[in-house]
Amino acid sequence: MMRSFLLMVLLIGAVAVTAVAGTIEGTVSPGKSSVVYVDTIQGKTFPAPSQQPIMDQKGLMFSPHVMVIQVGTTVEFLNSDSVQHNVFWPSISGNKKLGHNLGTWPKGDKRPFKFDNNGVVSLLCNVHPEMAGYIVVSPTPYFAETDASGNYKIENVPDGKYNVVAWHEGMKPQTKSVDVSGTGKADFTLSK
Amino acid sequence: MGRLSSRAGSTFLQFLLLMGTLIIPSRESAAIPAFSRLYGTSCSTCHIDFPKLNDFGKAFKDAGFKFPKDDESMLKIPPVMLGAPANAELWPKAIWPGTIPGIPPIGLRMNNYFQYTGTSSGKFASLTPAGTLPPFVPTTDFETGLFSIFTAGNFGSDIAFWVDDDISVSGANASGELGDGYLKFVNIGRLIKLPKNSLNFRVGQFELELPFTQARSIWISPYDIYSQANIGAMNSLVPLQQFVNNQFQMADVGKGVEFSGGLHTGGYNYSIAFIDQNTSGIGQDQNPGSPYVPQATGSNLGGVGVASDANFKDIYASFNYRFNLEHDKESRKAIQAAGPTGPRDHTYLNFGTYYFYGRSVQRLLGAASDGTAALVTAREPFYRVGGNMTFNYRCCLQFNALYMYGHDNNLLPIDAAGDLIPLQNLSTAVPVGFIHSTPATFSGGFADVEWLAYPWMMVLMRYDGVNSTSDRINGLQTNPSFTGAPFNAPFASTRNRFTPGVQFLIHANIKASFEYQFRPSQSVVIATNPVTGLPIALNPFHTNTAVAGLEWVY
Repeated sequence: MMRSFLLMVLLIGAVAVTAVAGTIEGTVSPGKSSVVYVDTIQGKTFPAPSQQPIMDQKGLMFSPHVMVIQVGTTVEFLNSDSVQHNVFWPSISGNKKLGHNLGTWPKGDKRPFKFDNNGVVSLLCNVHPEMAGYIVVSPTPYFAETDASGNYKIENVPDGKYNVVAWHEGMKPQTKSVDVSGTGKADFTLSK
Repeated sequence: MGRLSSRAGSTFLQFLLLMGTLIIPSRESAAIPAFSRLYGTSCSTCHIDFPKLNDFGKAFKDAGFKFPKDDESMLKIPPVMLGAPANAELWPKAIWPGTIPGIPPIGLRMNNYFQYTGTSSGKFASLTPAGTLPPFVPTTDFETGLFSIFTAGNFGSDIAFWVDDDISVSGANASGELGDGYLKFVNIGRLIKLPKNSLNFRVGQFELELPFTQARSIWISPYDIYSQANIGAMNSLVPLQQFVNNQFQMADVGKGVEFSGGLHTGGYNYSIAFIDQNTSGIGQDQNPGSPYVPQATGSNLGGVGVASDANFKDIYASFNYRFNLEHDKESRKAIQAAGPTGPRDHTYLNFGTYYFYGRSVQRLLGAASDGTAALVTAREPFYRVGGNMTFNYRCCLQFNALYMYGHDNNLLPIDAAGDLIPLQNLSTAVPVGFIHSTPATFSGGFADVEWLAYPWMMVLMRYDGVNSTSDRINGLQTNPSFTGAPFNAPFASTRNRFTPGVQFLIHANIKASFEYQFRPSQSVVIATNPVTGLPIALNPFHTNTAVAGLEWVY
C-alpha cells in the first residue's frame, strides 16, 4: 500500500515538473549561427554558471564564430595561433562605455573575462581587422543557437509569457512575445 | 661640339628632367593582395600604411613569403602539391616535391596623381637657347602613375618567388618594365649545417638590399640621394674637367645573385650581391648584341649577357644590426611585442652600413700605340659608401637617416703625345689612353620622421640633401652673355628639400597621399647691384611642388 502511494507521488511530481519545464522552438531565417534567447524576466535573477566556455583564435579566425552565454559567465579567450592576437570590442550592443580591450597574449595562453552586461559583443582583433566573432550575452539561462537548417529549441523554460529575441550577424534583432505552456513556438525572419 | 661638351651645356635638359621626375613617381612595389587571398587576412597583418612592412611583414618576407610558424594551418586556400609528401622519403635531403599556390597569386596596383607647381617655375625659360621655344610647365597637372601586376609566393621547401612588372607607366603601355623578378632560396645554410636563417640565395633581377627600400617606400617622391647619378664636371667654361659619366643610381634594380642572411626583426642581417654592370645606361632594348654571337635565350632584345657594358660584376654589401630595446622579456623574443591594446612592433635601434663597388665604363674611338684605329676604354672604379640608422618607438613613431658618399675615379683622355685632350675636342682628337685626375664625388642623404597618428593616418616629414660639386658646375649657364654665376641656390648643386606629407588609408588597400616639396629659391638671371657692385639674383623662382596621390591594390 505504502509502495503504491510513493509511486503515485513520484508520478504526480514528474508530471508537475514536465508541465513547468517547457520548451520554445521554431526557426530563424537566415538559418545557421542565429541565436534565440528569452529576454529579461522582471523580478527574476539567475545564478551565474560556473562553466567557462572558450573563445578560441585559430587560423586567424574566432572559433566559434558565434557564442551565446548567460550574463555573469566568464569566457576564456584562447590564442591557438603562432601569431599574436588581440581581442577587443568597441561596445556591447552599441553602448561604448562597455567597450574593452583585453590586450595581447601569445600562443597557448588564455585571458578570462566575465560578462556582467547582456547584449551583443562584437569581438575584434586590432592587428587582423578581418577577424570577427560574436558573443551574445543572454540575460536568462534560456537560450539556444540554431542548427544548419535554422531550427532552434530552448529547453527547461518555465511556463509563462516571455519576450523572445532572435539575433543574427548583420541582421536587425527581432523580439516576439511567446506564451509557454508546456511548449511555445516562435519563428523569425530577420532582415538587414 | 663633342658629345661631352654637348652634355655640359644641357642645363636646360636637366631642368626638364627635374620637372619630369616631379611628376613621375618612384618605381614601387606594393602590398600583395594575393597573400590576403591565400591567408584570408587583411593587409594590416603585414603592413603599416602599405607598402611599409611591420615586423610581422618583415618576418613573413624573411621566411620566404610565408608565416614563420604553422604556415599550413594559416592558409585558407591550400597549395597544390607537386608530388605527394611521401615522395620526400626517396630523396630526404632534396627539396622535391614542392607546391604551387592554390590560386594564381596575382595582385594589381594602380595610382593616380595630381600635381601643383608654383607659377614661378616658368622663369627658367630664359635659359632657353636663342631661336628655340621655351618649355611650358603647367601649374596643375593630372597624371596616371603605374599600373602594375605583381605575383609572389612560396613554392614549398623554402623557395620563394617574386615578379612585379609595370604594365603601364603614366598611361603609356610602352613605358612599362620589369621591376623585380627573382627566385629566392631561403635558409639554404641548413644544407651545410649553418645556423638557421644565416644564408639565403637569391637570383634574378632585384632591388639591392638597401638600408631603406625605394621600391617599398611609402613616400610618393623618391629619395634624392638614391637617384643621384655621378656626372663629372663637364662644363667647358670652368677649368675642372671630369671624364665621368656614371649613370648608376642606387635605386636601380640589379641583375645577378645575392647571398643574404639574418633577420630583419632583430639581430644582424647582411647582403652581398654581385650584379651586372651597366653604367652607360644602355638598356637591353638598345643593345641587341652582335649578330655573330648566338643569343642563348632567343630573345629579340639581346638574349643573354648583352645588356652589361663590361665583364666586371658590381659588388654590393650591406650589414645591419638591430638592438631590441623592448622592456618586456617575453615580448622581446616574439616577432611583435604584446602591447596592452594589441600587437605592435618592438622599440628598437638599428645601425647599418653599406658599400657598393663598380667600374664605370666609357669607350672612345681612338688609336693604339702603333697608330692604328682602336676602341679605347676607360674603366673608372667607383664606390658608394654610407651608413644608416633607425629608431623605432613601438607602433607609431620612427626616425630614419641615411648618409651616402659617392666617389668615381676620373680618367682623362690623353693623345699620343701624352697631353690632355680638352673634353670639348673629343670628337676630333685621337685618344690613346687615360691618366688619373680629380675624382668626381658627391655626398648627401636624407632623414625622415614617420608618425602613425592613427592606424589610418601617417604623418611624415623628410629632409633630402645632395651635395655635388660637379652638378653645380654643370648647372652653370653656358650662354656667353651669362658670366658664370650659377643658380643662386641651385637645384643642381646642393639640393635641399623639405617634404612634409600626410597619408590616409581610406581602406586597408586604398591610400590617399599628399606631399609638399619645399625647395630653395633659384634664379637664372644674375645682375650687378648698382649700389654695391655685387652680383644679385633676379627673377627668383621656386620649384616647390604639391603632389596628391591616390593608389589602390587589389
